[in-house]
Amino acid sequence: MAEKGYVEITIDGQTVQAQEGEKILWAALDAGIEIPHLCAIREAHPPLGTCRLCFVEVEGEGVVASCVEPVREGMVVHTDGERAKTLRRRAMELLLADHDLECKTCVKEGNCEFLQMAISMKVKKPKNLHPFPREELPVDDSHPLIIFDPNKCIRCGKCVWVCREKAELVPFDFVYKGYDMRLTTFLSRPLGETNCTGCGECVEVCPVAALYFRKA
Amino acid sequence: MAEELQEVLAPYPVERRYLLRILQGVQQKMGYISEEALEGVASHLKISPAEVYGVATFYNQFRFIPYGKHHIVACLGTACHAMGGQLILDAFERELDIKAGGITPDHGWSLDRVGCIGCCTKAPVVVINDVIHAKMSPFKVEEVLAGLGLEMRKEKEEEEAGEGESQ
Amino acid sequence: MKGNLNDLQKQAQEKWEELEESSFTIRIGTPTCGRAAGSLDTLQAFQERIKKEGVEAHIIEVGCMGLCFAEPLVIIHNPDSGLPPILYGFITHEKVLRLVEGFILGDDPCLELALGTVEFKEDGTPYIPEMPRFEIEERLVLRNCGYIDPLDIGQYLARGGYLTLQKALKMTPEGIIREVEQARLRGRGGAGFDTARKWKACYQMERGPKYLICNADEGDPGAFMDRVVLESDPHSVIEGMVIAAHALGASQGFIYTRAEYPLVIERLKIALSQAREIGVIGEDILGSGVNFDIELVEGAGAFACGEETAMIASIEGRRGMPRPRPPHPTEYGLNGEPTVVDNVKTFALVTRILQQGGEWFSQIGSPNSTGTAVFALAGRVEQIGLVEVPMGTTLKEVIFEVGGGITNGRTFKAVQIGGPAGGCLPESALDLPVDYDSLKEVGAIMGSGGMVVLDENNCMVETARFFVDFLARECCGKCTMGRLGVKQMLLILEDFVKGEGTEEDLDMLEGLAHDVREGCLCNLGGSAANPVLTTLRYFRDEYEAHVTGKRCPALVCKELITYYILPEKCEKGCDHCVLTCPTEAIATDEKTRKKKILQDKCVKCGTCIDVCPPEYDAVIKVSPPDRVKELEGEAGG
Repeated sequence: MAEKGYVEITIDGQTVQAQEGEKILWAALDAGIEIPHLCAIREAHPPLGTCRLCFVEVEGEGVVASCVEPVREGMVVHTDGERAKTLRRRAMELLLADHDLECKTCVKEGNCEFLQMAISMKVKKPKNLHPFPREELPVDDSHPLIIFDPNKCIRCGKCVWVCREKAELVPFDFVYKGYDMRLTTFLSRPLGETNCTGCGECVEVCPVAALYFRKA
Repeated sequence: MAEELQEVLAPYPVERRYLLRILQGVQQKMGYISEEALEGVASHLKISPAEVYGVATFYNQFRFIPYGKHHIVACLGTACHAMGGQLILDAFERELDIKAGGITPDHGWSLDRVGCIGCCTKAPVVVINDVIHAKMSPFKVEEVLAGLGLEMRKEKEEEEAGEGESQ
Repeated sequence: MKGNLNDLQKQAQEKWEELEESSFTIRIGTPTCGRAAGSLDTLQAFQERIKKEGVEAHIIEVGCMGLCFAEPLVIIHNPDSGLPPILYGFITHEKVLRLVEGFILGDDPCLELALGTVEFKEDGTPYIPEMPRFEIEERLVLRNCGYIDPLDIGQYLARGGYLTLQKALKMTPEGIIREVEQARLRGRGGAGFDTARKWKACYQMERGPKYLICNADEGDPGAFMDRVVLESDPHSVIEGMVIAAHALGASQGFIYTRAEYPLVIERLKIALSQAREIGVIGEDILGSGVNFDIELVEGAGAFACGEETAMIASIEGRRGMPRPRPPHPTEYGLNGEPTVVDNVKTFALVTRILQQGGEWFSQIGSPNSTGTAVFALAGRVEQIGLVEVPMGTTLKEVIFEVGGGITNGRTFKAVQIGGPAGGCLPESALDLPVDYDSLKEVGAIMGSGGMVVLDENNCMVETARFFVDFLARECCGKCTMGRLGVKQMLLILEDFVKGEGTEEDLDMLEGLAHDVREGCLCNLGGSAANPVLTTLRYFRDEYEAHVTGKRCPALVCKELITYYILPEKCEKGCDHCVLTCPTEAIATDEKTRKKKILQDKCVKCGTCIDVCPPEYDAVIKVSPPDRVKELEGEAGG
């Protein structure tokens, strides 16, 4: 039996103790069990839930997003169920298909969280999907500290979340909706003309090279 | 402009939940939402202009360019689509020579599409200057436009061709 | 005006009885769809004639009776004639004179214009005995619609309005929830969630304030039930909301409706202010100590806001994007407080349940889906309009008996049920009883009640493309599956309707649809798979025709058809098509004077088919497009 305030669950056959109300994803990661994820922020309540990479299977419940589903006493979780794996792969394939993947010329040189996640999931850019109608947008290098390349953005939403925690008035947000939803400043004005202080919180959480520090 | 905006803003307390209502008010008063208005709304509610821009672009109702003198909304709901609504929109686009969401260069005509106006029993329908026109057909599009004073493209072309000949 | 409800009710009833028994009344339906059919002109014509003739008659603007196919609708009651009220259909303004001279000045009831007489059931619900559909229909939500004046709270009171609220305010919250539980009411918004369970979850939350939201954001294209209810009988919804608020302990309510529904907004504003005046909303409601007010919130055109967490975000002034659950709104809703969101019709039914008891309600419909279902019947069906039938009625009964079957003697192909995220069901599903579970089994959903009938002239691939296009535009964009998965489905379907797809794409589409269904952040995005999966399941042959045969069997997909004029049918003296063709794509043969379509100029708008006189009927569509060359060859040779 778990201590007070804690519950005991099973993940891939391993018994794991987790704080009541904790999400499956964090319980697993704390126990050293990997589940793919890109958008998850532990402090975010409710969670962002945007990337759709963290699916697992819970016995009796089916597939759930592990960053959203809280642990329950006696819960049995499988991270390697076929359906969960298929969904994770599909989400990653879609993200890759909508990404320019010019890793050689990218500032992160392939060392970004996104590419590493794709490699660890053994997912490559799919050939049988229709190309998305991506629109090349100009890179914004107006800010003294931060460069914003909207073409790399995977819309995880972490930057907006951390910025909103810190700044009273966020310098950027998502605009439009559907496929056209993208991150931008007010009227897409240069970031350097906004109130962005360059604190760099957004850069720290960006899993791609959409927001990065200017090289000194 | 600034005064009109203040008139819209004044009654609203500084609470974020009034954002949509204020944007609706601005649009009703001015016909569209200008860049200055977006900034004015943000500063009134003390929220980030980027967020106001994000909210305004999320909702289909908000326009960032003015309406034309005549504003046409073609309904493309399920019933209208099943009854040939796309052909009606096509006809407007062809006759006005603009795409949905656009406005003619002389600002005489603007055209939008809408998901459904709940008038499904009269499909296909269009709303022209707030009046609903029921059971449209491509041919009726020409009639309606001519009735509102649009010089038909055909005539224009003929005229142009005629002028060309006489020169 | 505030005072004892019983006194107000008594006064209203006396006034109503006088109106019903001894006054000359002319009721004219002026809801949005009636207006589109010209009912405001009809209204004006009556007003002018009545004034001119100096007749004493009450002209009452009413809502929608659901018989939208026959609009403009007029009900005339001439007590001196000894006849019951008579319902007339298709009364455009030019027919007003005939009615005035016939039945108002004279004693000829103009039966050639009549659809039937208006009789009343025991509970006062009007019905038309001459119309067979009323044998199937059971009107709980639509009880008052089309008969009372929605702008006069007195007429609602006279028919027992707000007496149920008075009763409910004397009950405990648990008592109200128990009635709803006994009724086994499921939410009318689409998913069919157990209403009592939701209420209980909110009621048990020990913090507040609590909020109650009426979801009137009827964004489903092809649906207009909620619009009609709010335009025709707003107080039945308001009454249900106050009852629910008492049960939950909610202090503030919101009605979130669409900006595209200006008349709903106008009428709700009036209804709310009248309700406030007589003290059925506001502070200390009817002396019970309960405080609850309702604020009207206009949406701004975003389909996603129909999803409850998105609606809450929108009311807070944010982008209307759903958020993952849990936590559910009953725990963490508006401003982070416990919140219940229910559909318009759910509230209207709550009023009926509290009035007549949960037990009574549970006897109507089928065991797991109790009560009635309201459908907006549209598309290629004769008697388009609103239908309210007990749950479990078959699709066939709804479409063929209530709806009168398919227009112009064409063949039924499919019924699209449950809005864009619903499904397309084929003929073989017609015997299916309509209830939450049966529909789910065949891949559709009840949705909020849109029912669009499609016939042989509708292409199922194009229909699927249409819905996915709508959902891709309206998807909030927040999650990968919604933003990219739905868009990818659309890209594939766009190829199909152009005849550019492959067999591999078909498999991809199906696989994607399953993944989107399961992998989206919200139900709304997930249900985008339904139109694709149901059309693939029931109409796969049409997909095959597009993909392998490069033809559109229903002759709809523009890239896969051509227009052709049959020379043997073309009448040489007639110039209809030539004169109306918007692109001058029709040429006249100098010798025969017969017409021919110049394919390189034709934009396939269909005007020539529209204008070709039915006695010639010379324009046809062919698919695949090359077929036209064969025809021209045959004709030429």
